[in-house]
Amino acid sequence: MTNNGYRLIHTVEDLRYYLIQGMKIEHATIPPYLTALYSLKPGTNLEAFHIIRAVVVEEMLHLTLAANVFNAVGGDINGVLTDPEFIPEYPAHLPTGSVDFKVNIEKFSPNTVETFLNIERSKEVDKDAPLVLPRPELNPWLRILGLEETYTFYSIGLFYAEVIRGLQELHQEMGDDLFCGDPNKQITPEYYYDGAGEIVPVYDFQSAIRALRVIQEQGEGSRQQTIYDAERELCHYYRFQQLELGQYYSIDKNNPLNSDSPDHPTGKTFIVDWDAVYPVKTNAKLSDYPEGSELYDAAKEFQQQYYAFLGMIQASFNGSPQALIPAVGGMFKLKESAERLIRNPIPDMEGVNAAPIYRWNKEQK
Amino acid sequence: MIIKSVDCQTISNIVYDVVIVGSGVAGAIVAKQLSEQGKTVLILEAGTSEGLTLEGYQNNIETFYGALNKNSNSPYPLNPNALSPTDNTYGYFQEKGVLPLSGSYTRIVGGTTRHWEGKTIRMLPEDFKLRTNYGHGLDWPISYDDLMPYYRKAEYEIGVAGDTEEQKEAGAEFIDGYVLPMKKLPPSFLDGIVRKGIDQIEEVTIGKENPETIKLKLSTFPQGRNSIPHPDYQRPGYTDDQLIKDNFIPEGVASVHPVEYGERCQGNANCVPICPVQAKYDARRTLSTIAFPEKVHLLSQAVATQVDINPENGRVTAINYKQYKNISSSEYTVGTARGRLFVLAANAVENAKLMLASNLPSTSGMMGCNLMDHPYLLSWALLPTTKIAGTLRGPQVTSGLSTFRKGDFRKEQCAFAMSIHNDGWGWSGTGATDILQDAVDKKHKYGAELRNELITRISQQLLLDFMCELPANSSNRVTVDPQYKDQLGNYRPVIHYNVPDYCKKTMAYARKLSLQIFESLGAKDYSHYDKSDPAYFEYENEGYFFRGGNHFAGTHVMGTTKNNSVVDRNLRSWDHENLYLVGGGSMPSIGSSNTTLTLAALSFLASEQMLRDLKA
Repeated sequence: MTNNGYRLIHTVEDLRYYLIQGMKIEHATIPPYLTALYSLKPGTNLEAFHIIRAVVVEEMLHLTLAANVFNAVGGDINGVLTDPEFIPEYPAHLPTGSVDFKVNIEKFSPNTVETFLNIERSKEVDKDAPLVLPRPELNPWLRILGLEETYTFYSIGLFYAEVIRGLQELHQEMGDDLFCGDPNKQITPEYYYDGAGEIVPVYDFQSAIRALRVIQEQGEGSRQQTIYDAERELCHYYRFQQLELGQYYSIDKNNPLNSDSPDHPTGKTFIVDWDAVYPVKTNAKLSDYPEGSELYDAAKEFQQQYYAFLGMIQASFNGSPQALIPAVGGMFKLKESAERLIRNPIPDMEGVNAAPIYRWNKEQK
Repeated sequence: MIIKSVDCQTISNIVYDVVIVGSGVAGAIVAKQLSEQGKTVLILEAGTSEGLTLEGYQNNIETFYGALNKNSNSPYPLNPNALSPTDNTYGYFQEKGVLPLSGSYTRIVGGTTRHWEGKTIRMLPEDFKLRTNYGHGLDWPISYDDLMPYYRKAEYEIGVAGDTEEQKEAGAEFIDGYVLPMKKLPPSFLDGIVRKGIDQIEEVTIGKENPETIKLKLSTFPQGRNSIPHPDYQRPGYTDDQLIKDNFIPEGVASVHPVEYGERCQGNANCVPICPVQAKYDARRTLSTIAFPEKVHLLSQAVATQVDINPENGRVTAINYKQYKNISSSEYTVGTARGRLFVLAANAVENAKLMLASNLPSTSGMMGCNLMDHPYLLSWALLPTTKIAGTLRGPQVTSGLSTFRKGDFRKEQCAFAMSIHNDGWGWSGTGATDILQDAVDKKHKYGAELRNELITRISQQLLLDFMCELPANSSNRVTVDPQYKDQLGNYRPVIHYNVPDYCKKTMAYARKLSLQIFESLGAKDYSHYDKSDPAYFEYENEGYFFRGGNHFAGTHVMGTTKNNSVVDRNLRSWDHENLYLVGGGSMPSIGSSNTTLTLAALSFLASEQMLRDLKA
């Protein structure tokens, strides 16, 4: 299969480029998930709260796993997360390049859940088939190497399938020299656990594949026609689908084959209260808030905190894993700051509440 | 998958290998150990089984948030059919002693671990020979070394976070190469402030006849709370001293829904009664990680009322129970649980009560006697305004003094451990909730003014607790009296309790030590021991009160013969060969350690003998 016409990743540099995009993809899901999560009124929609929250935690795990692989193949992570372009400008296409839907920063709603399902959707392709499809517009995010700029990945899973293919081929060519990174830059289970699946420190080919497979499978499932991943946990796609269907899936962990089949949950039913949600502004910009107002200051403060948070995460990926501990403390501050915005109406906008702004714009001082 | 909830009908047709009364940490460990060896198990639980689902647990949290009186059972609805003693709030205990036992336990699935603080401190080797070493209380029929392998199992099951080196300094022993499963919880910001004061004092003397000099040094307490897994951890192997390299990864409490929860401690500071992120171990975690859950049946809302005996050989034939429909009605049906082996794991007070209610006081007559608890002296102060101490950040307690846990002074006065409370004055009755109510309801403050009021009145609060050892004494005891029954017609425990001068002397010493610490911190003492408090006492012309520790023990004490004890070294009843009494009730002494870790270790030890019995 080597050197077939579809090969996209030819050099270690290519691989590192893809892994940076991978980190962007993992991160790009976090602002929309967090905003929807915090828009839920306290004490309501317990099911939605826990489902979204658990997925956010796993996206953080994926970001960490992608960083582990990136560090293992000798990437330099300094400046990656703190690049202003690391956060997309919402509404945004997913950085995989797929353009049939856009991701917004908005409140929890049936539409939002639909978007979440699109984010986590899956598609199987044959091993040697192209993973990219032609698409109509320019993708500023992902330069799909070796192809026209109009090509795109259908799903996050397919994107990682390509990364895995590239890694395999490079490993065949280079052997273990591929893993030239500093092993001290690996995040180990000591620093990360949360019922979100296991962190995999990456030192060699096998662990790199394991790490990438966790990302791939937690999202959309290991294979077609199953609702669970390799750890026998429900995949993200089906977790969100529960909110659409108002019913839990049931997984038999001892015998996964006895689990529910896709689209047909048999677990407990529940009612989603779509109205118990704060009406937050979709894709809020700093200019939506009157300059000098409390909201304006609060939104700016959130931006700064979020930027600092990414900086701490980056430091932890860059040989200071202990920085992850205060970063978690930082997430509490973020939550409080986000809620402060979300629970307050914007002056002169009837029935619209403020929302956090994640992206740090270059034109800002 | 979780264990199977069953109804009376189902169990009436089954003879189980083991019938366990109580689903707390002791009962859960026995159920897990035995079911994993293929045995069928029935658990009778007096309380309700809510909390086994995430939704139920979340309801408990919401109930706690909404409760005006945030006592240790406030997350759980009042259940008149199986009352939980709650610091005398609901009058479940009939207190007949000179001083009240007070304290609380929780009658609900998971037992008292549903409200425990989570300290998991090993006892010290010398605690097992209290009578021989110091002339007080009782000796154990087993030694620290005998219990060591089971301590390791308990530390794995609970998921203990702690610093092994600090514990060695405090006097605990560990086999070579062993560390606790997770690293210590980091000391709080408040600990750092108190440390400065304590470092200035350096050392103090204790004891009058042979004064000893003790160096003061803060250290952390091991706790059953998620922190950072220790990379050098080795879990217990298949033989006594075998260790297997294995990173400990805490498991969330899986609910029926595919949502996991069970995170690292975030310092919400309301460990007692309930952790909002399930960072604290409770026995639901043991119940939900049973490998063959279909082998374990759970009958909840079933209060055990009577143990039936075959008079010819003393063997237990059945346990009778009353199952109530719901907590708002006293309507109930009666039933019988049958098995080959029976295990009482319902807390020291309830175990003894059930045996006495069944007219089974044991050959030694010790059933219900030797009731122990840790009386706590509290001392509280306000730190100077220059020291914003960040009170209410961190788990309830992270550090304290373990330097008074051992020493020859124990001939004269009892050992103790001191804790620094990250949750402020709450235990003394003037904590954050009280201050909030005062500010909102009485002073009508809101907005920035309310915030300032709370910051100035809470964030400098300092409360020290001194947990004192109480030796076994047969006149401290649980009895039953037909006059005192609950609405189902079950006995309420009658308590006879007093605290000897041996402990009061230490409490007076602790009070002086606290004043010394306050002084070196520049803190203003606010302690007030009101004469009207039921636990008020005077010692050498000074007044104090104590608070119950909920570490009930000793009521079916373990010993060397059927004439000096209720159970043998394996926790098996001397009089009834197919009956085990597990839990703190079997402990002949409690040292200066919270009892859960030791009683969990004993449950592992007893489970091994149960399996041998079932094979015979």
